Amino acid sequence: MGAIRFDDVGRFYGNKTGGFQALKGVNLEISDKEFMAVVGPSGCGKTTLLRFVAGFDRPSSGTVSVNGIRVTKPGPDRAVVFQQFALMPWKTVRENIDLGLRNIGIARAERQSRIAATLQLMNLTGHADAFPHQLSGGMQQRVSIARAWVLDPEVLLMDEPFGALDAQTRVVMQEELVRLARRNPRTVMFITHAVEEAVYLADRVAIMARQPGRIKEIIDIRPIREAEGWDAHEKIEDVMDLESFVHLRTRIWRSLREEKAMELA
Amino acid sequence: MSRKAMVGAATILAALTLWYLLTTVLGVISPGRFPSPADTWSALAQVSGKGYANGVLGEHVLRSVLLVTLGFIVAVVTGVPLGLWMGWSRRAEAVINPVFLVIRPIPPLAWIPLAILWLGLGDMAKILVIWFAAFVPSVINSYAGVRNLDRTLIEAAKMLGTPFTTFVREILLPGASPMIFTGLRLSLQASWTTLVAAELVGAMTGLGRVLNVAQQDLYPGMILVGMIAVTICGWLMTVALGMAEKRALAWNTATQAGS
Repeated sequence: MGAIRFDDVGRFYGNKTGGFQALKGVNLEISDKEFMAVVGPSGCGKTTLLRFVAGFDRPSSGTVSVNGIRVTKPGPDRAVVFQQFALMPWKTVRENIDLGLRNIGIARAERQSRIAATLQLMNLTGHADAFPHQLSGGMQQRVSIARAWVLDPEVLLMDEPFGALDAQTRVVMQEELVRLARRNPRTVMFITHAVEEAVYLADRVAIMARQPGRIKEIIDIRPIREAEGWDAHEKIEDVMDLESFVHLRTRIWRSLREEKAMELA
Repeated sequence: MSRKAMVGAATILAALTLWYLLTTVLGVISPGRFPSPADTWSALAQVSGKGYANGVLGEHVLRSVLLVTLGFIVAVVTGVPLGLWMGWSRRAEAVINPVFLVIRPIPPLAWIPLAILWLGLGDMAKILVIWFAAFVPSVINSYAGVRNLDRTLIEAAKMLGTPFTTFVREILLPGASPMIFTGLRLSLQASWTTLVAAELVGAMTGLGRVLNVAQQDLYPGMILVGMIAVTICGWLMTVALGMAEKRALAWNTATQAGS
């Protein structure tokens, strides 16, 4: 059974006389502990799909379920990492991470040990009492990931989490996320428009098309990654240099470009 | 002392010198229209020692400060929660906002006759009028504070499963607090304006009463003393509020400096 399931999901904006079909007939299954990247041109509705799983929005047709239960509202079992971090500026790093744990009613001693462990995992030790604005963008996004990670959620929803970071920071974060995800696999839905990022991070990549938004193609990265030993390389540029990586990236690019060409024609 | 502070001090010194020259040395301004420094000083000595308009300066100041504080607190305690509620609940906004739109354009001072009719010349009438005046800015700014709250912060709180009371205390209130404090500052100003006007109309003691009696006595020196006393009291209370704001919004200072 898939951890996240989209069954014939559609989203229509407007009324009977006219409107806009943003998403149509989306079927997608993300397995337990699978890292699924969703790529697509802007306006294809990839973020909307994530927001359905988070419970922020609802599809106008079809169902979205997590572990067989239909999503109706947001909750800490589906932790979200936002592009703009969305940390409470008036709370320290520790207080930000603590909020979710308090909400699910975990005892103080366990909260403290879980926060300490997560801070260490995310390379944030020593910054627990800083306010978000005292940290760099990369650090803030680490806090945001820590806030989600500490809840040990069923699924982790990441909405272009590195989109607001500068190129160097982004690379560091991508490398860290790969290490984190390979060592402690989680069910992840990762939205991005960066093809390289998707190929580097994900187990599978779902390619979307627009007007109406739909899943066009799903590519399994794992067989190639394992056969070519990508994870033996520590640095992202070494992986990106591999022929197998370039090949996959180009294939996804072509798939996206066909979309663009159709749109211009 | 910084260069800016020195320039400021020099300007004030020049104004005081000009005041002395125009009223005392050159006699351009007659003492019946605007008091000389000496007249003002003797009026201050009189109201501080012997007393004036049913009391010494300390009593007048105390009465006015007390009434402003009470009226201000009543306005804030009622206005801020109402504003937060209107900002959060579309239904509350739909019900309350029309009433608000009708009442809002009424100048607060126009309530004075009605307040006196209801409650007489005592303290309650003044607190009521201050409440009417100070209520509006507290409501509007708290409302705007909630409305301007970053939507993703609300979504993040929901995603974290935040219960409603925790949400109000730890997200809504701090998130709206920069705007709430803006409202409080405007409310405090409105409280002073309204109190002086209300005391002008009728009071036994208070700084407005000093101003009123001095006007009837054709006593410019005392009028100026009353004006200065009101200014200093209002300024001190604003400074106190500013200190409270700085403490409450410590997390916000860097973001403000950055923007």
